[in-house]
Amino acid sequence: MRLSGRFAFCGLLLALSLLPGCTSQPDVGETPAATPTAPSEAETEKVYRIGIASDLTTTNHWAYLGPDGTIWNGYVLGGSKPALYAYSAQRYDWVPSLAADFPTPLEEEVVEGETFWTTEVELLEGVKWSDGSDVTAEDFAFTANTAAEMQLTGNWPSIVDPEFFDHAETDGPHRLKIFFKQKPGLARWQFGLAFMPIFSKAYWEPVVAEARQAGDTTEQQKVLFAHVPEGEPSAGGFIFDQWERGAFAEKDENPAYSFAGTEVALYASGAYSATTPGLTEFTAYGEPGGEKVLEYVEGPNAASTIYSIYGSQDAAVLALKKGDIDFMLNPLGLSKGLQEQLAGEDGLTTIENASDGLRYLGFNFRKAPMDNRAFRQAVATLIDKEFLVDTVLQGVAIPIYTMVPEGNGAWYNADVPLIGKGLNRQERVSRAVELLKEAGFTWETEPRVSEDGNFIEQQGEGLRMPNGEPVPAMQVLAPSAGYDPLRSTFAIWIERWLSEVGIPLRANLTGFNVIVEKVFDQQDFDMWILGWGLNPFPDYLESFFHSRHSELEGYNAGGYNNPDFDRLADGLLSETDLAAARQQVFEMQAFLAEDLPYVVLFDTPIVETYRSERIDFPYTETWGGLQSVAGMPTLVDFR
Amino acid sequence: MTGYLVRRTGQMVLTLFLIITFTFFLVQAQPGDYASFYVLNPDLPPEVKDEIRAAFGLDKPAWQQYLIHLKNTFTGNLGVSFGNFPRPVLDVLAERVPRTLVLFLTATAVSFYIGFFLGKAMAWRRGGLFEYATTISGALLFTAFTPAFGLMMIWAFAFKLGWFPVGKFLDPLVWRGADVSANYVFGNMLLSAAAFIAFALLVMLFLKRFGRRVPSVAAFPIVLGGALVIAAAWALSGIGGLALDIVKHMVLPVATLTLVSFAGTMLLTRNSMLETIREDYVMAARAKGLPDKLVRDRHAARNAMLPIVTSLVYSLIFAIDGSVIIESVFSWPGTGLTLLQAVRSEDLPLVMGAMLFIGVLSLLAHVIVDVLYVYLDPRIRYQ
Repeated sequence: MRLSGRFAFCGLLLALSLLPGCTSQPDVGETPAATPTAPSEAETEKVYRIGIASDLTTTNHWAYLGPDGTIWNGYVLGGSKPALYAYSAQRYDWVPSLAADFPTPLEEEVVEGETFWTTEVELLEGVKWSDGSDVTAEDFAFTANTAAEMQLTGNWPSIVDPEFFDHAETDGPHRLKIFFKQKPGLARWQFGLAFMPIFSKAYWEPVVAEARQAGDTTEQQKVLFAHVPEGEPSAGGFIFDQWERGAFAEKDENPAYSFAGTEVALYASGAYSATTPGLTEFTAYGEPGGEKVLEYVEGPNAASTIYSIYGSQDAAVLALKKGDIDFMLNPLGLSKGLQEQLAGEDGLTTIENASDGLRYLGFNFRKAPMDNRAFRQAVATLIDKEFLVDTVLQGVAIPIYTMVPEGNGAWYNADVPLIGKGLNRQERVSRAVELLKEAGFTWETEPRVSEDGNFIEQQGEGLRMPNGEPVPAMQVLAPSAGYDPLRSTFAIWIERWLSEVGIPLRANLTGFNVIVEKVFDQQDFDMWILGWGLNPFPDYLESFFHSRHSELEGYNAGGYNNPDFDRLADGLLSETDLAAARQQVFEMQAFLAEDLPYVVLFDTPIVETYRSERIDFPYTETWGGLQSVAGMPTLVDFR
Repeated sequence: MTGYLVRRTGQMVLTLFLIITFTFFLVQAQPGDYASFYVLNPDLPPEVKDEIRAAFGLDKPAWQQYLIHLKNTFTGNLGVSFGNFPRPVLDVLAERVPRTLVLFLTATAVSFYIGFFLGKAMAWRRGGLFEYATTISGALLFTAFTPAFGLMMIWAFAFKLGWFPVGKFLDPLVWRGADVSANYVFGNMLLSAAAFIAFALLVMLFLKRFGRRVPSVAAFPIVLGGALVIAAAWALSGIGGLALDIVKHMVLPVATLTLVSFAGTMLLTRNSMLETIREDYVMAARAKGLPDKLVRDRHAARNAMLPIVTSLVYSLIFAIDGSVIIESVFSWPGTGLTLLQAVRSEDLPLVMGAMLFIGVLSLLAHVIVDVLYVYLDPRIRYQ
């Protein structure tokens, strides 16, 4: 290249480089008038700063409940939409939110020759969207009917179940009538549709109309999910304001929040009361009076909530220590190492709550001897959860015996058979041998425990099933130590304890996805150890153990098939009365604790830390920790 | 040369095809798929899981998915990211590339400059304490475990001393209410850098042509003046504070990257220089009585640059790929972190898109280096 050519090239490059500087910003409109300056103390005083370890993937609430159903989206987007009913704090009572009272009982009704189950709900008058318009029954009907009509996927079918929900009609601006195709139980109505986030019809109707033009339902959904909301009204304590991808999201206080100042009280007697000045006074579950177990006033007290996005939990913990954030949201809480990092730091408070999950050992009922109840009970007897948790795992977990964790107070049944609890090693082995013998199992060499009960003098060998065939070599699939050291430790000890009595079991510690594929997609396994995150309403008992879910990819991966349990589960699904449902759930827990399709192993407390020198919560004891209530942005206060 | 380029283009297409094929089946070999994400929600019946699979095209056999993917790729359609549904993959990548470019181009330039400067000096003063000290410290840093080193840097300079922010690329409290997106600022930072380089090159060329009439000492103030003009433009633009905030967040990752990588350039420069200074023309330059600095910088260093320029071009191109480790440790949401998250969640289109992007750029890098060789060393000719 000649020198003059190089001049021309560099000149052209310079000109091209300077050109965009003269134009306006392509993606956000106008060039800014002024640079935002570093914030003053006063400005940041009422900003609630939360750290999250992953970015949002959408700001579209339809998409969040559809294919973008990440917990991180939930943390940020949740709380902006009203719902007819909600859970009360701590106790998880079913209480009205947008509804003025409880719904009318379900009634069978024939309309134009078609039979429906219907219910009616009266809505509160005076609840406003942030743009000043009323939240009406039309908004609910629009949301539910749209979800059903467009056959929205993801989490939508668990909210608006097309097998049950037919349509919703309005009778005036504040009265709803909901039509079901068949009688819905609590899971489909009270704890399903009634919790549906309600969208503003005025904002979304044009978007939905445009989506309807797109072709089939898949294309319609794509158009709906692709919409990026701008200026969407909120009926929660905050209005979504800004999302800088990969960096942060911000929600500003909603000055028109209708429930601001609501006084909520929970009484030891079980009563619940909520009073919103100028809007509603509501009491349920008994007459308010006597000792109050919880009392708080709804905010928001923060001018805004900022969600800072970090690439890892370690980075977020350092930011918490440094004071850049007040709290960090993580569905699993803090790991042991991070807890130690934060221990003893000034200005920070660490709290511990029961988590909304459990870890279990599951059996494949399609294979012998896992289909034998005595065998499962023997296995459960041999597993010394207390020893492992207290001695080996240094108390980082809590042994549990029922499918509803204790933290879920409304549905937890403490009175279930506690197989093996309190037995020493000798007693466990003796009891397991006794159970197996009674069921017809035999040994070539029977296991024998030393007299002091501390070790196995003679390992069991040549165990045969009641039909005379040898017990086959089996595997228990469990996550590797890198993924979860607790479950892998349990698997290794279970292998040891079962081998001692002659049950030929080997622990196969492998990747989470491998276990999921083998257990749920292929059903090619003997036993497995995994865990579940649980909802407050325990209809998951039906999902996990009803025989109808035992097909490939069903949640009853073990193929548990017990007509007695199926009857109980069906009863729960169709039950519409809370008290009766509670009784059924209690029965189901007791049934499962004895029949043992799962040996429930343990739960881990969820540990969280917040900057107590700056912020305060009205209460911190809640099942699943503060993360389960998204860090309480509408309740947090500042010191 | 034209024939060579045509042949290379053909090879590139073939290599690209192999990259796509290999990557696709590698990702497919992972157990589970994106729909496995929903397996943990017991409220969803299996048929809904199937619907989700169908919506993402995961219900088809792997070979069919592969053919569709191949067709889409060669027609410029990288598909829709599962994890950012229904956002196109290209859109996601376009958002992340500027952030990675700003960070890694800066780090590459700084580490190259420091490495080249030190390598040159080491070769010239061979055997001295300076050489031993820089070699040992450079090698130590070069072999440091990057994630741990990055965390140590954060702990020391961000947490303990409080000089810099703890990761991320901006401070939300500064950016609240900003009318512009971070990518707009990143884009303008890249353009400013390009403008400055172009201006500096213009000045150099001007001096080369009119050097006899304009003293060469004028170069520095002129270039500095150009830099000041750009700085003034930023100050008046209304987004200078935002850019400054990004720069503040860049210091630690750039320092970490520089410290762990400058030794590569340094040792390469040293070795190349050691070979060059034994050449006859260097001895001739010395014999003529030219000053040491002139012999080192003009005669030896320039001729020693060939392998270093090659290394720099590769580094610049691979900068776009980003670093999974650095971006994770410093919470810098660029292409590296995006690729990592996509692999973890089995977001197949995004993984494939990112890998294709990296593949194309690395193939281009090889062609650029081949062409540069001809330009830098007139003895090289391709048939």
